[in-house]
Amino acid sequence: MLRLIGRRLLLMVPTLILASMLIFALAEVLPGDVARSILGPYATQEQVDLLNERLGADRPIYVRYAEWAGGFVTGDWGDSLIFDEPVLPLVRRALGNSLLLAGFALVLIVPTSIAVGVFAGLRRDSPLDRGITVSTLSMTVIPEFVSGVVLLYVFAVWLKWLPVSALPPSGSPFVSRFYYLILPAIPLMLLELGYIARMARVGTVQVLSMPYIRTAVLKGLPRRRVIFGHVLRNAMVPTVTVIGTQIGWLIGGLVVIEVLFAYPGIGNIMVEAAKSKDLPLLEAAVLMVAILYMVSNLIADIVVALLNPRIRMGG
Amino acid sequence: MTSDQYRREYAHHLVEQVKKGHMTRRQLLVRASVFGLSATVAGQLLAACGGEEEPSGDATASALPEPVMGGTIKLIGPAPITDPDPVTIYDQGGIVLVYQFLEYLIDLDNSNGLKPKLAESWTPDETGSVWTFNLRQGVTFNDGSPFEAEDVITSIERVLDPANGSGALSQLSGVLSPGGTRAVDQYTVEFTLDKPYADFPYMVSSGNYNTAILNRNYDGDIVKNPVGTGPFMLTDYVTKQKATYVKNPNYWGKDAQGRQLPYLDGMEYIMVEDNSAQNLQLQSGAVDVQPQTVFQGAQALFSDPNLRVDIYPGTGIREVAFNMNVDPWKDNKPLRQAVAYCLDRDAINQALYDGRSNLGYDTFWEPTVFPGSPPSTPRAQDYDKAKQLLSDAGYPDGLDITLTHAKYLENPQYAQLIQDQCKPAGINVKLDQMSYEAFYAGDDADYYGTTPWLNGPMTIVEWGSRPAPGIFAAAMLLPDAVWSSSHWNNPEWVALFDQYQSTADEASRTDIAAQLSSIQQDDTPILLAFYITQLRTQKKNVYGIQGPGSFYCDLSQAFMTA
Repeated sequence: MLRLIGRRLLLMVPTLILASMLIFALAEVLPGDVARSILGPYATQEQVDLLNERLGADRPIYVRYAEWAGGFVTGDWGDSLIFDEPVLPLVRRALGNSLLLAGFALVLIVPTSIAVGVFAGLRRDSPLDRGITVSTLSMTVIPEFVSGVVLLYVFAVWLKWLPVSALPPSGSPFVSRFYYLILPAIPLMLLELGYIARMARVGTVQVLSMPYIRTAVLKGLPRRRVIFGHVLRNAMVPTVTVIGTQIGWLIGGLVVIEVLFAYPGIGNIMVEAAKSKDLPLLEAAVLMVAILYMVSNLIADIVVALLNPRIRMGG
Repeated sequence: MTSDQYRREYAHHLVEQVKKGHMTRRQLLVRASVFGLSATVAGQLLAACGGEEEPSGDATASALPEPVMGGTIKLIGPAPITDPDPVTIYDQGGIVLVYQFLEYLIDLDNSNGLKPKLAESWTPDETGSVWTFNLRQGVTFNDGSPFEAEDVITSIERVLDPANGSGALSQLSGVLSPGGTRAVDQYTVEFTLDKPYADFPYMVSSGNYNTAILNRNYDGDIVKNPVGTGPFMLTDYVTKQKATYVKNPNYWGKDAQGRQLPYLDGMEYIMVEDNSAQNLQLQSGAVDVQPQTVFQGAQALFSDPNLRVDIYPGTGIREVAFNMNVDPWKDNKPLRQAVAYCLDRDAINQALYDGRSNLGYDTFWEPTVFPGSPPSTPRAQDYDKAKQLLSDAGYPDGLDITLTHAKYLENPQYAQLIQDQCKPAGINVKLDQMSYEAFYAGDDADYYGTTPWLNGPMTIVEWGSRPAPGIFAAAMLLPDAVWSSSHWNNPEWVALFDQYQSTADEASRTDIAAQLSSIQQDDTPILLAFYITQLRTQKKNVYGIQGPGSFYCDLSQAFMTA
């Protein structure tokens, strides 16, 4: 088990190096340049050239990469070119905000979708099952910016039950943040609910058809114990794998939600940095998301291994 | 003649123009302000003209309740695109942010006239090439240091230095050179221009937003050291989130009753990128004011019983340029005119701006937009004429053209309308839509020769407000203008324009403007179908915001009733 974790952690290093190179190379192909973003379309080219020179953006790509990479590994993440602020605190603050939102959304998503999926699986082919399958599936195809706007309008503007912004006023206690995060979290939940619930349903259906469940039922175990002791545990394996991969999707969904709710998270930062070719900021933000993605996948694998000893042996 | 005599002469001349019917009373006020005549003098001039009072352009002025002291107003708008350095900012977020604690020599009023701010008065010499500005005395920066001529000189010289990357330089180049600004005494500054320039005061007004007056010791970091003379002081700035201000207790401004300004205790600027998200925040009551409301998606705001949308005469445009360096537009006036006659400007205004913008007829001199301009001739949709012109142009069977534009603001819809309206005449418009970044990008080695916005065969370029027609014309229609997408070069027009810039006499100026206008319209280097009015949305209990809509929103006299 430890070897599995160690090997996976080691694999992350070349992946991250490759990702960081890709980002540099891709940004090079993107139109626009930093000094032009800072000075605007109406600055003269001489002014733009002067600024590019001052920022060092006119040097060859490999020189800039080497300099950036050297700084990055030693903890010097440089300054954001457009915001003229150190990257590290900027990204740390944004990542913290995003993790809070994603974490809160997950807390809502995971139990709800598992409950819905298992419930549907236990009543396989009943009208209720069909109803759940169709409605969760249709929720996954509604883009989060659509559901987000509708929810905002209904709950914040019309009913005024929930705040329209995703951040409480400064000075509010920390717990109040969750109240402000309810509305942004719901579109994310709707998006993910369908995938995870369906996985849980399929897992449940499969496990239910297994001989050991029949045995458990025949030997007279109470239904509750059959479900919680046998069905749930075994049905969870594919579900957890899906949850792991969906965390990546969740971060992707955050970009849209963060822009819509003006939430100062990592998605917002990435969009800004990519638009203006602010490489130090873009690299840091994307690498953070990449690490998050890999770590969440690793955690999913560990949970699966714990749930299924055969995978643990094979690992 | 002394400059006082000259000003008296000029004032007299303005009254004559109004009496003869060559000028409206509103135009008189605007021109009087450019020449540094005070509001009192302008009022006396109006009285001297006799006749009826014209309705005020200010939507809220008539119904203003008694000011309420205290409270905090929350503004909402996009975050500054970059680190908000007043010397280089060009975007709404940056401008709104610094405008609350910095001031200009001159402000724009609600009809693009000039209003004294840190300069109490200004006078040209009789050639119009030396301008003397008398500064307001007793003003201090919020760090306690006094405001003096030295601060003006360093502020202006700073934007004139190419190394500082200021956009103001492009407006001032050819008008004012480094070293042209000097202190006559502690409170008097003299600008010696490169050439006579009748609209110079606009160049050092809030209309040229990088000319904000900074402390002489400005170190390049306005967020860490927010030193300014304005009504508020920046106390907290969180990148991409929020800026918080408190009132400047030592602010020099007093209202008409002598009460200390600002009325408010403070203000906040909440940064939200997405327009619909901004609108939702307004509708939910979480914020009080949106300095600039975008037409698209604003319908709900107009019908919201808790909000008031004020409309100001804006001068923002979408320039549709024919690149005259390339075929088919090169040396083909009938073809350019043919496209102009395909446009149904009313329908465009209706579709893009709910019918609330002002129509444009392919010239910068539009009297409804720029007071003081000669009347321009409407160009209505006329397919028979368009087909005839097309035939004259050598394309009797029609032709295919390409229109390049950024996927930005209402440009995609506008491009679509142009495409639809050109089709019946046999002009097939192929749309080449690209991202905003790609449209304004270019090769490092030759930016001007490669960027799509200056090199596409036909392009839509969005321009923010400019306070005077000549400023637009100089920026995009002169052969040496760096932002010329049309690459127009009409020597007759260029010579006349030079004359226009240096002429102070209002009658000859109007006469030259009429000629410039008709040449521009006839030769059709660019299409100007409309001037976009500015919308500002606020809660119904918010009053007293000054400035001609858009980013310039002065809260020094703003207040909220219960």
